[in-house]
Formats: sequence, C-alpha cells, structure tokens
Amino acid sequence: MKARVLSIVLALVLLLSLAGCGSKAPAPTQAPSAQEQPAAEAPAAPAEPKILRLAESFAYASLDAHKDWNGWYTSIYGLTETLFKVGDDLSVEPLLADKAETSEDGLTWTITLDPNAAFSNGKALTAEMVVRNLQRVGEVNARFADVKDYVITAVDERTLTITTPVLYPTLITDKLTNSAFGIMDLDCEDLDNAPVCTGPFQVKTFEPEGTVEMAKNENYWNGEVKLDGVIFYYMNDDESKLMAMQSGEIDGYSSVTAAAKEIYSLEPDRYVLTVIPGTRLQFYVLNQNRLSANVRKAIDLTVDNDAIAAFLGGTVSPAVGPFGASAPYGQVTKPAVDADAARAAIEADGYALNADGYYEKDGQVLTVEICFYYARSLDTIALLLEQQFKAVGIKAVLTGVEDADSTYRVTGEYDMALYCMIADQAGDPYFGINALFRQNSNWALGGFHSDECEALINELESEPDADRRAELANQIVQMAIDDDAFGFIGLFNKTSVAAPGVVNIGENSPFDFYGVSAESDMP
Amino acid sequence: MKKYIGKRLLHLVGILIALSFLTFLLMYLAPGDAATKKLNAQGIAVSQEVLEQVRTEMGLDRPFLVQYGDWALKVLRGDLGNSYKDGVSVAAKLGKALGYTVELAFGSLLLSLVIALPLAILTALKQDSLLDYLLRFLSFIGNSLPNFLISVLLMYFFCVKARLLPVVAERSLKGLLLPSAALSIPMIGRFLRQFRAEILEQMSRSYVSGAASRGVKRRYILYRNVLHNASITILTIVGLQIGTLMGGSVVIETIFRWPGLGKLAMDAITARDYPVIQGFVLLTASFYVLVNLLTDIAYHWIDPRVRPE
Repeated sequence: MKARVLSIVLALVLLLSLAGCGSKAPAPTQAPSAQEQPAAEAPAAPAEPKILRLAESFAYASLDAHKDWNGWYTSIYGLTETLFKVGDDLSVEPLLADKAETSEDGLTWTITLDPNAAFSNGKALTAEMVVRNLQRVGEVNARFADVKDYVITAVDERTLTITTPVLYPTLITDKLTNSAFGIMDLDCEDLDNAPVCTGPFQVKTFEPEGTVEMAKNENYWNGEVKLDGVIFYYMNDDESKLMAMQSGEIDGYSSVTAAAKEIYSLEPDRYVLTVIPGTRLQFYVLNQNRLSANVRKAIDLTVDNDAIAAFLGGTVSPAVGPFGASAPYGQVTKPAVDADAARAAIEADGYALNADGYYEKDGQVLTVEICFYYARSLDTIALLLEQQFKAVGIKAVLTGVEDADSTYRVTGEYDMALYCMIADQAGDPYFGINALFRQNSNWALGGFHSDECEALINELESEPDADRRAELANQIVQMAIDDDAFGFIGLFNKTSVAAPGVVNIGENSPFDFYGVSAESDMP
Repeated sequence: MKKYIGKRLLHLVGILIALSFLTFLLMYLAPGDAATKKLNAQGIAVSQEVLEQVRTEMGLDRPFLVQYGDWALKVLRGDLGNSYKDGVSVAAKLGKALGYTVELAFGSLLLSLVIALPLAILTALKQDSLLDYLLRFLSFIGNSLPNFLISVLLMYFFCVKARLLPVVAERSLKGLLLPSAALSIPMIGRFLRQFRAEILEQMSRSYVSGAASRGVKRRYILYRNVLHNASITILTIVGLQIGTLMGGSVVIETIFRWPGLGKLAMDAITARDYPVIQGFVLLTASFYVLVNLLTDIAYHWIDPRVRPE
C-alpha cells in the first residue's frame, strides 16, 4: 500500500514534468508597452491617469514622519512638508510657513504660517497643530531630544514662537527644514499607516517595508498637482532597478550606479540622466598621534582626487573641502598633487628609498594603515590610495571593517581613516564643521586640535549673519586642511535617471530627502 | 514512536537554548549595536551623548547575561519582543516573511523535483550515453553558477528581452516563477547527480537482475522496486534541502523583491536587531529539527524495518 502511494507520488512528479515538456507553451501574455499599443479604433477613451512609478532603495515600517528616519521618505513620497525647505540652490525658502523673525536677543523665533496651508482632509493648518508636531518630534525622536528644552507656544491661529535656551541661529536649517519635522494632523487615527499631511500626495496603500502607493491630494493648498498618483517600489538591488528601467516597469530612480549610468548614457533617447553635485562627502582623517607632520603632508600631496573621481565613473565630484565649491562656505584651497614634493617631505623625516621602492628608516618601511568600511565606494578608494601611495614610496596596509562607528572611529586605531557622511544637511556649514573639527567631535581621536579653530567654531555656532558664517566656516576648514589633519576626496553626485518627459522628481535637489512635488510630471 | 518523538522534541529545546545563547553572544561581541545602526542610518552622525541615551533606553548598556536573561524570560512567556529597528513585533515580522519563504521554498522544490527526478531516471537508464554526459555536464554548470548570476540572467532574458515576466513582481504565481527558477537551477544540478547515483546504485543490486531474469518488465522493476528503494535516500536529500530552504535566500529575495526570511535576517544582522535575529534563529532551528524528525518518521513509514532510534 505504502509503496503504491509512494509510486503514485513519484509518478505524479514524472507526469508533471512530462506535461511541462510536452505541452505547447501558451502564447506569451506580454503587456504591450506604451509605444506598442495599437491605435485606438474604439471611441476616444478617457485619458489614462498619470501614475508615475519610481524605485526607492529603502523602505520603512511606518509613515510616522517624526520617528526614526521615516520623515526622509514621507518627504520623498510628497506626503509631508516642513515649515521651510532648502531650495535646489541651497537657499532656505518658506513652505508651510510664510516667514520667520527673531527677537532682538536672538533667542525667540516668531513663525507665521502660510494662510492657505491645509491638510489633505481640508482641515486648515493651525499654529497649535504645528506646536504639537514640534513638541512630539522632541519626544519621539532621540536625535532631536533638545527640542524638549524649547518653549514653543501658539500665539494665535497662524503664529507661533519658539524660544531656545541658547542662541541658535541655525534653528531653521537644522530643525524646521528637517524632514523629521514634517507636519502631520496629529488627530489622525493611524499615523503609522495612513497619516494625514499637507503634501501634494496622500497615502493610497502602504505596505510596511514594501510598496507605497500615493494618490493626488485633491485639496492641495499650494497649487495644482500634475500627477494622479505615484507608486514607490522598494528595490534595493541595483541590477533589478536597471532592468526594471529597461523593461519600462519603472519611470525613474536616483542613486544610479556608475555601471548603470554607462548603460543609460548609451541610449539618451530612452533615458534622461541628471547628475548634480550632492552633499554626501568621502573624506579621510590622518591620525596626528601616529603620523608625523611630514608624512601627513606627503599623503595630502599624493592623494589624487581627480584620478579617484575619474575611476569612480562620475559618481563623485572631486572635493577640496567638505562642502560644495559653489557654496559660499565652500571656498577653500588645497595644494595640488605633487609626487616630488611628497617624496621631499618624506625624505625630510630621514627616510630613504629601499630596493623595493618603499621609503625606509632604521629598517622600518614607511607603512600607513588605511582603515575603511565596505560601503560608499570607500573600499575602492582604499585600493586606489594603495596604488597612489606605492607610486611615491609609501606602503599601505588596508584594514576593512563592516562598521566604522564601532571600530576605528571610536578606538582611534588608524593611521588614515576613510569615512563617508552627509556634511551639509541643509545649506549651512555648522553641522559638518561641528561633526568633524570640534574638540569632542567624532574625529577628535585623530588628534586635530587648535584653540583658534575651537574659538572660531564657537563663534560660528551663534553667528546669525550668513556672510560672516561663510567666512568663519572657510577659515575653520582651511585650518584643518593646512594642518594636514583631514583630506576631502569627493562629494557624491546625485545621479538620477528618468524616462523622457518625467520631470521634477527631486532630480535637481542636492539632497536625498526631496522627491516628488506638485510640479512632478510625466508625458 | 511516541517516545522517540518526545525525545526528539526535548532535544529541540536544548538545541534552541544553546543556539539562542550562542547567537546572542556572537551579536553582542560583534562590533556595533542597534543604537549606532539606527541613529547613523542615513550617514548623518549623531553625538556620543545621544547615542548613549538611546543605548540606555534600549537596554543595550546592561551586562550580557542580563540582556540575554531578559530576552529568554520574555520568550518563555511567548513574547519574542519588538524589533529594535522599527518597534514592530518580531512575531509579526517573522510571520509575514515566513509566508513568502514557504511559498518560495516549496515553489522551487517542486520545480526542482519535477525536472531533476525524471532526468535522473533518464540519465541512469542511459548511463554513459551522450545524453547522460550532456546532462551531467549541465548539472555541473547549474550547480556551480552563483545565485546572483542566475537571477540576473533569468531576469534579463525573461523580463527585459522576452518581456514574459515582470521585474517588479508582486506576490503571485507569476511573481514566484523567476525566484523559484533561480533557486531551482543549482538544486536541479545537485538533485540530478545525487538521484542518478542512487538509482544506479539500486539498479546494480542483484534483485534487479534477478527480477529481469524472471521476465519482470523493466518499467515495473524501475517504478516498483528501484524507485521505492531509492526513495529513502531521495527523501533524505529533499528533507535536508527543505531545512536549508526554510532559512531563506538573501540574494534571490533581494534581487526579486521577495521579502522572505533570508532578507529579514540579513537586514536584522546589518541593523544589529537582536530580537529579530534571535526570533529568526529560533524559527529556522525549529524548522530544521522538525523537518529532520518528519524525515525520520517517513523512513519508518516507507520501510518499517528502519526503526527510529
């Protein structure tokens, strides 16, 4: 009996396979592409809804903009808006707010809301709701716990005041443009899955950590929304995105890889590539506790940012300082690559070339340990640096880790540390400077310290005048460069691809957290 | 048999305790923690002060044994905890991913069996023929191709060139086809060689030549005796494969947007999301042990002479 049952099972498997081999395959059910669709013979049908399909590399479990990094994506989805936004030219522009004014002592900000601002459910945006939103961010997001120390008060329907305990000239760029401060209707029942917000789109369907479908906000307060909807597919594999683009299943995405960029550039009629300088910085820190001033100088004279950028296929632009060269606070200089000067600096330390072509002193080869982690092309950069160092006689030892934030960055055990971070969060230099050059910064273990620099950073922290801020920032960064403490390799370009006619999907913003808007459109 | 099953289930408890402790220890010793990963997620560094505060809130500053004990006690109460990454219940996350993994595992297994078993019989019957050499050669290739390459090639030909299937597949039979095929190709290669070897082994036994000399039809010997006797080995191979498949396949799940257990585990490891990692380990270890137990029981069912010990 059992043998019979088993034989039947095996026979069924065989039968299935024979059926698969023998039967004629059904005609393919290929959906015709837009270009292939037959000309309409029937009476003119109503216009197809304009639904844009985009791919995103990350997806979160909640749409609550205030928690974690969700706001980054609710902003990209066109769901949430902030009081102010950073324009494509890095200038701060009012969005839900009309204007902001500071008190004479600089501690109190008075924010006036746009009189037309409203949620997608038609409810007007009030100062009281904004106050509740700002306070909630301080409570639910550890990155903004300092907001709990602010006194935030609704003065009337459209006006609120924010009083900070200390002078805080970058309140708007640090907080009020930050996507975590996206405004939601806090009376809405399901902030995680279907928050009601003010953006040009509203949630249609939301699959946690999956596909998000947005529908046009018919009540959008800030003009007509051109698209009927947007679908964001969660795709974090680069090859899949490339093939989805090639098969016409998506209309665009950003963070295009160098390999994909090359493929797209071969067919300019089918793919529109947009490359703009971004704000994600690749840099290195030279450990002053382990490397002499001359060796650090030699390294800085050796690192060829142009060659690295060229190798990375246009995904990065060579950097001089931590900020884009077009920003007023990005006006710094560094010495040109000079192998002879690098060798002279090493020889000034008493090193001589050995038979292997490396510098050596007292029987010790000049060796530099380069620490890096496997992301943001830092592993490739480490390999390129190894070659560049070899050319001038420095031996490089590469140490790759998975997580820099728990290894070399916090132990200080490196000669040269590679890292990547967003240095310019929202059109102001303070965040980057504070993170890099402060006495107690993340990179303090690299040994860079200057009282003069610290004083300038303190001044920058409370300086309200933009021109003076830029001047201070340039002085601070120049000091770090001149001290051969830091080297700035490249700024990632924001590379986006879109089908022809697809416009305004965030491709012109240097920031990753802006996406679709009312102006987004497709053919 | 009941005693045997009870004993095996008792072993499972021991295995789960040892595995969960070891995994927790390894994650604890690995550089980085959930707080760092969560706060630095988008390349914007936070201050050490904020980091320490979040570590305290998450309980990551407590000694290892306290953290493990706390987790274990919750599990004993039936609570796998919440994800450090996004606060979602671990049980809900595992449940959702498990559904995808079961579909993919059984889809690929079925596809592999449907192709590999008849080919194994064919190659065994036509041993050392051109067809046998060709299929064995192809099985080598299928077995040695990396998953990502198979996936990308399948996607390119079926989605981009032929436009038969979508790249952006949703959870449907159509969406399951390519990931199942990608997972099946190396499996078919392995199955084909292993099944063929076992069938040949059985065919070389004297009972086959004896039956043939008595005039029993070849087809009858093959289906009634050879396949029956080879089934224990086949079952072992398939059982082991099911256990492996239930752990998910990170590469295939990532490429085909199939959010199964493999991708969930990989994301959790990257984020140092201990509760999810622990939940994953408990689930997959249980599956592995249970599938093996079922395989052992099936041996006895197929051949009562085989007694589980």
